[in-house]
Amino acid sequence: MEVEHPAAAAESNNGNQSQEQKFSVPVDSENKATEFRLLSISKPHMRAFHLSWISFFSCFVSSFAAPPLLPIIRDNLNLTATDIGNAGVASVSGAVFARVAMGTACDLVGPRLASASLILLTAPAVYFTSVINSATSYLLVRFFTGFSLATFVSTQFWMSSMFSPPVVGRANGFSGGWGNLGGGATQLIMPLVFSLIRDIGAAQFTAWRIAFFVPAFFQMLTAFSILIFGQDMPDGNFQRLKKAGEKPKDEFSKVLFHGVSNYRGWILALTYGYCFGVELTIDNIIAEYFYDRFNLKLHTAGIIAASFGLANLFSRPGGGIVSDAVSKRFGMRGRLWALWLCQTFAGVLCIILGLVGSLSVSVVVMIIFSVFVQAACGMTFGIVPFVSRRSLGVISGMTGGGGNVGAVVTQLIFFKGSRFSKERGITLMGVMIIICTLPICLIYFPQWGGMFFGPSSEKVTEEDYYLGEWNSKEQEKGSHHASLKFADNSVSERGRRLNASTRPADESTPTHV
Amino acid sequence: MASHKVVVASFLLCCLAQTCYGGVLFSSLERTIDVTASPNEGQVLSVGVNKISVTWALNKTLPSGIDSTYNTIKVKLCYAPVSQRDRPWRKTEDNLSRDKTCQHNIASKPYDASNKTSQSFEWIIGLDVPTATYFVRAYAFDQNDMEVAYGQTTNEKKSTDLFEINGVTGKHTSLDISSVCFSAFSVVSLFVFFYIEKRKGKAASSVEQKVIT
Repeated sequence: MEVEHPAAAAESNNGNQSQEQKFSVPVDSENKATEFRLLSISKPHMRAFHLSWISFFSCFVSSFAAPPLLPIIRDNLNLTATDIGNAGVASVSGAVFARVAMGTACDLVGPRLASASLILLTAPAVYFTSVINSATSYLLVRFFTGFSLATFVSTQFWMSSMFSPPVVGRANGFSGGWGNLGGGATQLIMPLVFSLIRDIGAAQFTAWRIAFFVPAFFQMLTAFSILIFGQDMPDGNFQRLKKAGEKPKDEFSKVLFHGVSNYRGWILALTYGYCFGVELTIDNIIAEYFYDRFNLKLHTAGIIAASFGLANLFSRPGGGIVSDAVSKRFGMRGRLWALWLCQTFAGVLCIILGLVGSLSVSVVVMIIFSVFVQAACGMTFGIVPFVSRRSLGVISGMTGGGGNVGAVVTQLIFFKGSRFSKERGITLMGVMIIICTLPICLIYFPQWGGMFFGPSSEKVTEEDYYLGEWNSKEQEKGSHHASLKFADNSVSERGRRLNASTRPADESTPTHV
Repeated sequence: MASHKVVVASFLLCCLAQTCYGGVLFSSLERTIDVTASPNEGQVLSVGVNKISVTWALNKTLPSGIDSTYNTIKVKLCYAPVSQRDRPWRKTEDNLSRDKTCQHNIASKPYDASNKTSQSFEWIIGLDVPTATYFVRAYAFDQNDMEVAYGQTTNEKKSTDLFEINGVTGKHTSLDISSVCFSAFSVVSLFVFFYIEKRKGKAASSVEQKVIT
């Protein structure tokens, strides 16, 4: 429910001052948590964390619920390999634009309403999977269900709104990683649910249809939980904050402009396409790869496929934690180097995966590859919150959408038709990962530096960078205050070595207000 | 260098061992069994309703003794090439342990070489058989459960005497109705939540208004 009593808030102030709020975790000047306590469900920070990762998990389960049941579905619907391939591409392409749209929606109405709306509006697509009867309808339900993967953006946005810069990497990493887990968990859950229903007595071509009600219902429940228990920001929900004047309404066109015109957003979109996009591609092809190349049973191939996705439990959060740790010592430059190294190494492992011919070595390489590629995803979102404050949603959406574009492009180039064998496709994909990770070298923050250059000699501060998104008229109105607070808090991205020497004497480290 | 050679050699050995262990090659089998099935060419059958009658016997023109190793006859329903196209999970491979042409079992009967009369079986088409085009094939297995001969209702190219089977859709009216109801509930509840939020927002701002005035 809403924070504190709206009536009490009204009584104690005239609606313009934010009231004193007690949080059970330490917070910074924006009331964002400075600690990440995984096992707590305290309101509002950790509660937001658990609501967001569980709902994102359910969307992943729904989006990839069909692949493990394909041996049954393809016979029921008389699908061809082309139909299946096209539906696989469709399932990840819907989210390309949905993610960008979601980013903007978060900036405008807040992550709580944006994500719950998307989840409730895509649940019908999952329910309707039970009634499909042709290749076309199969493609359509997978396409529309895939839209729900845009909840990734609201998850990252929500975490970036609730958690302070020193811990935002791990918050994003855990929520993103535990959500992505759904892609692996579904490979185990759906066959289990299917066999349970079939053993109760349903015919197999009916049992898989009934099975789809499970992810659909779960998805619906998570949306209700978000609406009932969730809250957009530490101080309250967007609507109430807007009415109280604490969260000024922003203009859609300005928000979009500042997001789209920031080149760093585009570079991160490309590089995310070659860690997360690769992860999605592997989710779609790896079971078949092991089944065909090593002649495994479909059941065994499915378990191996699941383990790729299940590594997300620790690998993506691990990436976030490493990003935060590196940033403490080396600041943003450390985050950039960590990402480049991790993702390039993932590319090398991908090349090796395609070349290896023995089953056990292949599985080992795949698992190590999964750890590095997923850690790179976590590290990317250790950087995204700092690219823009005003257009955080748009940048998150662009990056997230870029991930799906990478999946679509990679599947179309290397895994459609029979131009390349799957193993050759995997090796070539590894080469493409390495090439498309190079642009990280081009990312430069004037206040912190880039991979090869230090901060600008003109002594640009965090305030200069973030307030650059607001013109003087807007600043007169006071619309930029949130960005100001964020700028103060992001000083941690200078790293430890430079902190003491470069910070002017009158600036004090903000503790919680 | 030596270790590299050992790795390559053992890898090759494993591959070869796989094929040796793997299975009988279809091209090595002789077509010695005459198989006939009741469906006519191009006939369309329905699962659960129609029956397929299969009759099989050793080809009379063959020299005697050729069936001395035959222990069991297994009759299977097999996919015709048109239903295998663009479907690698139904692919025909020469190595029978990897062959996926015949995935549905019709009958399995012991074979008595001394009894030369033909055997037959009537099979109600199982509910799990999917919609596709089929033919019928019988394999003769020896005591070690290895294929030693075969027979089929169609020709070498698998282009004649093919018949179609229509599988169940698996759909049910109750499922259709449930889907519609749950979907509607999902969308409607979203709008109900919006409405409640708006009302609460109005109530909060009206209280604040009262306090200010």
